[in-house]
Amino acid sequence: MIAQLRVDDRLIHGQVALVWTKELNTPGIVVANDNAANNEMVQMTLKMATPTGKKLLIRNVDDAIKVFNNPKGANMRIFALTNNVQDALKIAENVKDIEGINVANVGRFTKDADDAIQLSSTLMMTPDELAALKKLATLDIPVFHQIVPNNAKTPISSLLKDAK
Amino acid sequence: MTDILIASHGHFASGLQSSLEILTGMGNKVKVIDAYVDDSDYTPQIEEFIKSAKRPAVIFTDLKGGSVNQKVMLEAADQKDIFIVTQMNLAIIMSVLLDSEPLTKEHLQDLIVQSQVELLEIPQSQQDQEKETVNDFFE
Repeated sequence: MIAQLRVDDRLIHGQVALVWTKELNTPGIVVANDNAANNEMVQMTLKMATPTGKKLLIRNVDDAIKVFNNPKGANMRIFALTNNVQDALKIAENVKDIEGINVANVGRFTKDADDAIQLSSTLMMTPDELAALKKLATLDIPVFHQIVPNNAKTPISSLLKDAK
Repeated sequence: MTDILIASHGHFASGLQSSLEILTGMGNKVKVIDAYVDDSDYTPQIEEFIKSAKRPAVIFTDLKGGSVNQKVMLEAADQKDIFIVTQMNLAIIMSVLLDSEPLTKEHLQDLIVQSQVELLEIPQSQQDQEKETVNDFFE
């Protein structure tokens, strides 16, 4: 089961590696990202960021969905990561057992962001991304924004409301 | 959570605090001393920490043998359960800050071993990298 699906444009990094895996008590991390699955250099940096004792799997989004639906993983707490909202939506629509979706850091590295909308200090949404986020918020899974565990969970629906 | 003081020559200590805030949101949980950025005496801040910190506490300093480290050692000399860790880096401070086990000398030593600077070798080809499998993952 997915203990948390996190959208983070940096995938695994300091906040995620040390802070969140501890907080969520997840022995396994799955990075669901088409680019990372095809890029050895990205894979290497992600492995480096993985804390000792945690298992890491890097797969493209479609293969990751198969991993999440694998019966062997039913009792394993998995921390899943995507670097954009569209990928998270695809996973949420195709995987049953997800405890919560944390839209944490989005858009900081998007080059073509002239028409981006800012939902919070770390959420910059392109129109496509915003459409995916709205769809995500209608699913029957808690969707929230929480950068580090010390921050309060802000429901995405309230950020969307404020942005209008 | 362990009470922590970070002391350095210049803004290294408050710089580490800024990094801790970004990474953990817990920057305000540590005390810092940026020594020699003005001509004030920073000894009272060390005394204040030692007086108020719950035990065991940790004081991190930037440089072994440096004057900041010397001052800390003199102030903490007659104290029980204050650990002084020098040659500090971000990794060791985060480890102690996020740790949930009781802080013993042995445990602190383990955290320090895991937080060393290292020389990274970048693998030149896929052969150098182990490919992880789904079966390994679910084992």
